[in-house]
Amino acid sequence: MKNLEFFSRISIGRYIERDSAVHRLSPAAKYLWLFAFILPVSALKSAAAMAFLAAAALAAAALAKIRPSFLLRGFLPVLPLVGIAAAFQIAFTAPGDRTAVLLALGPVSVTAREAAAVGGMALRFLAMMLGLGLFTSVITEGDTARGIEDVLAPLSKLGFPAHQLALAVAVAFRFIPIVAGELEGIVKAQAARGADFGTGKGGPLRRARAYLPLVVPVTIRALERAEALAEAMEARCYEARGRTRYVKAEGGRYDLVARLAAIAFAAASLAIGFALPW
Amino acid sequence: MPLIEVSGLTYTYPHGAYPALDGISFSVEAGEYVAVVGANGSGKSTLARCLNGLLQPSPGAVRVAGHDPSEPEGRRRVRRALSLVFQSPPDQIVASIVEEDVAFGLENLGVAPDDMRPRVRAALERTGLWELRQSSPRFLSAGQQQRLAVAGSLAMAPACLVFDEATAMIDPAGREEILRLMDEAVAGGAAVLHITHDMAEAARARRALVLSRGRLVYDGLAEGLFELPDLPSLGLGLPEGAVLARSLRLRARPGELPAGLAARVVSAGLRPAPALANAGAPTTADSSAGALPPAKAGHDAAAEAAFRLEGASYRYLAGTDDERSALDGVSCELPRGRRLAFVGATGSGKSTALQLVAALAQPSAGRALVLGRDTAAPATELRELRMAAPLSIQRPESAIFEPYAGDEVAFGPRNRGLSGAALADAVRRAMDAVGLPYDGFRDRPSRALSGGQKRRLAIASILAMSPDILVLDEPGSALDPVSRSELMALLFRSDGGGRSLAFSTHSMEEAARADLVAVMGRGRLAAFGPPATIFGAGWDPGWGLKRPFAAELAAELARAYEARGFDPAALAALRSAVTPEALAAALVGPSGALGPAAADAARPATGPSPGTTGTEGGVA
Repeated sequence: MKNLEFFSRISIGRYIERDSAVHRLSPAAKYLWLFAFILPVSALKSAAAMAFLAAAALAAAALAKIRPSFLLRGFLPVLPLVGIAAAFQIAFTAPGDRTAVLLALGPVSVTAREAAAVGGMALRFLAMMLGLGLFTSVITEGDTARGIEDVLAPLSKLGFPAHQLALAVAVAFRFIPIVAGELEGIVKAQAARGADFGTGKGGPLRRARAYLPLVVPVTIRALERAEALAEAMEARCYEARGRTRYVKAEGGRYDLVARLAAIAFAAASLAIGFALPW
Repeated sequence: MPLIEVSGLTYTYPHGAYPALDGISFSVEAGEYVAVVGANGSGKSTLARCLNGLLQPSPGAVRVAGHDPSEPEGRRRVRRALSLVFQSPPDQIVASIVEEDVAFGLENLGVAPDDMRPRVRAALERTGLWELRQSSPRFLSAGQQQRLAVAGSLAMAPACLVFDEATAMIDPAGREEILRLMDEAVAGGAAVLHITHDMAEAARARRALVLSRGRLVYDGLAEGLFELPDLPSLGLGLPEGAVLARSLRLRARPGELPAGLAARVVSAGLRPAPALANAGAPTTADSSAGALPPAKAGHDAAAEAAFRLEGASYRYLAGTDDERSALDGVSCELPRGRRLAFVGATGSGKSTALQLVAALAQPSAGRALVLGRDTAAPATELRELRMAAPLSIQRPESAIFEPYAGDEVAFGPRNRGLSGAALADAVRRAMDAVGLPYDGFRDRPSRALSGGQKRRLAIASILAMSPDILVLDEPGSALDPVSRSELMALLFRSDGGGRSLAFSTHSMEEAARADLVAVMGRGRLAAFGPPATIFGAGWDPGWGLKRPFAAELAAELARAYEARGFDPAALAALRSAVTPEALAAALVGPSGALGPAAADAARPATGPSPGTTGTEGGVA
């Protein structure tokens, strides 16, 4: 990174504006569907179930009018990890694995069970990435926070600070570019005075170590910026209680259908998935 | 009953050694337009925060619309009546969509959703942001962000709007917009309190309060501001128009336009000074926009230059969805030992150009030669080059990272290989030069310094490296007039070693004192040349900049004298006079030359004069 560029200019989230049934869902329904999808993806072992879930995500993407290739772009950085995990899976044979050997190469052999495990894992990653990618593509930054508040609304009657949590999420989004900008400033100020940033010298460890002394000043600046934002909010009469909402996020009659469908989807996937032999 | 009533307000910060506000009393009627003026640290912002209860005043000291901000219920009501717009535009934005941010205050007031929409729409339309209502505020310019903050306040329909240096961090065009919104708010019946240290802005109000070290030292008509004795000791300075009027032995009139002053100058019997006509005339060489001088003998020409950009372009986030062009085919050259000012609106490419000059970024196309070395060449020692041309970023005080002042200054020279007595000497000289004496300040905690001191500390940390080129991004921004002119005088002062200077500024008065000016617009170099050309004959209103008052006045005068039959040749010096001193020197009074006293009078407070060796001409 010779040009000392950080992420202060990048857009956060990957919301893609489309007119689709998926986009029109309320933020709460989108969250429900996210949970309804992630739950079987993480809980199930069956490779067939993973294939089905990945296909379901692709179908939802089609409904949302979003190209799968866009969703899969986020998959690329994770690929090396999948590769490493697969290598481990193959290198160490589980004790008592008596399934047929599909491929043998010297001391390393691939059994049917290992092949299924690797395939299942790859499918699980694929389904996870598709689901998360789709969620971030159909929900705006503001709705990400509002959705949390709505999903947790029942709990807030019991005193759970749903609104405050939603605000924390919204402010966290706001602060990613702010902190990146502060970091960029300090890095440039130090590089201008001879600190080793972006000169292409030294190994990765030395380069990473150069950032350590920045933790304290960047944190202090972030706190100062947070204080300024808090003042501005307070000056505009912010109080956690008695607020109304400018953006309507209720969704229509179909929204209720969609929420119920999400619950049904999760229940059915789990029930069938656990019953599947492979 | 007055809208705001302050009586005997004293406020001391926790752990503060002395009160930030000391026995302030005044009142403001509904619909009044009041400027609150004072230097950095005079207590202006503390006052604003006491008014709306962000800071807790003692009970009974403040009443706004009849409510006392020192107790919770009163504070709630005060904040509905009095809305605050802050200095830093991005730090006031809460929501991720423009219109949702405008609605934030209304949501807090519990306004019903159906009643919000028309109010949000009206506020967006008044501030010219309706078209941008669905945008992300992050990608608005600083000026637009500040208008968004004003829209958020307007939507709440307060009886009083307080602008806390709300124009300090935006470019001149954005500033005009905010000032226009203030005028409209007053016309609409709201009271406006405009906190500022810019005297020209303050003069727009009807009434002015002047704060100095926490005390209220003036409460009267805004036009009386210019007649205050000893303005520099208040940290204030006259705007260039008033300085000019005085140096031409005329009365300073607040808010007067160049045309008005020109008419008074002519009727006072002043004439162009024929004898000086040639002495003051600029050489008309290398004034064509963006042209590079012919590269004679290749290497030599480049080595002579402090830096040379050859068709340099820069794209941010190249290869991503967010890629955008910041600099587009810029070619220009700064000879060694000269001073170059980059001017242009926010986002015009000034900062990016400076980063190329400081070797912190490399052009994505074209070349950047710094001290004769190509910053993109593999053989170039980037670290060494960066230290020879160190950049001081915008608001450099935000990047101070060492706990103690002396260590902050020592960071650079230590990296240049200095140690022991040589290091201490470099730190001492730099700290002494910026007015933070080494003996008194080296062991002070950096965080405990005032804003102006931190700025000077950041500058000292660059000076301590004895760089060949000083590269500074808006070095004077947000400083009060006296601190600002002191700093610029320090930077313009030659250290005798042929040090070069490249800086960006929104002050055309500062740019007029450089040797060369680069006018940037949308990433391109719109014009390049000496200030006498840029602000004189070569001036183009299409740049969207505000011409220095002196240059505007000179142009008005030249037109008037030409109409009166003066020899056009004799007006050449007048046309190229773009600073108050040059203008004073280009005119003679009815009884002969205005003399050196006039030129001296023209120097103060609006900016540094090249080559002055004292700390500050006009402050003494």
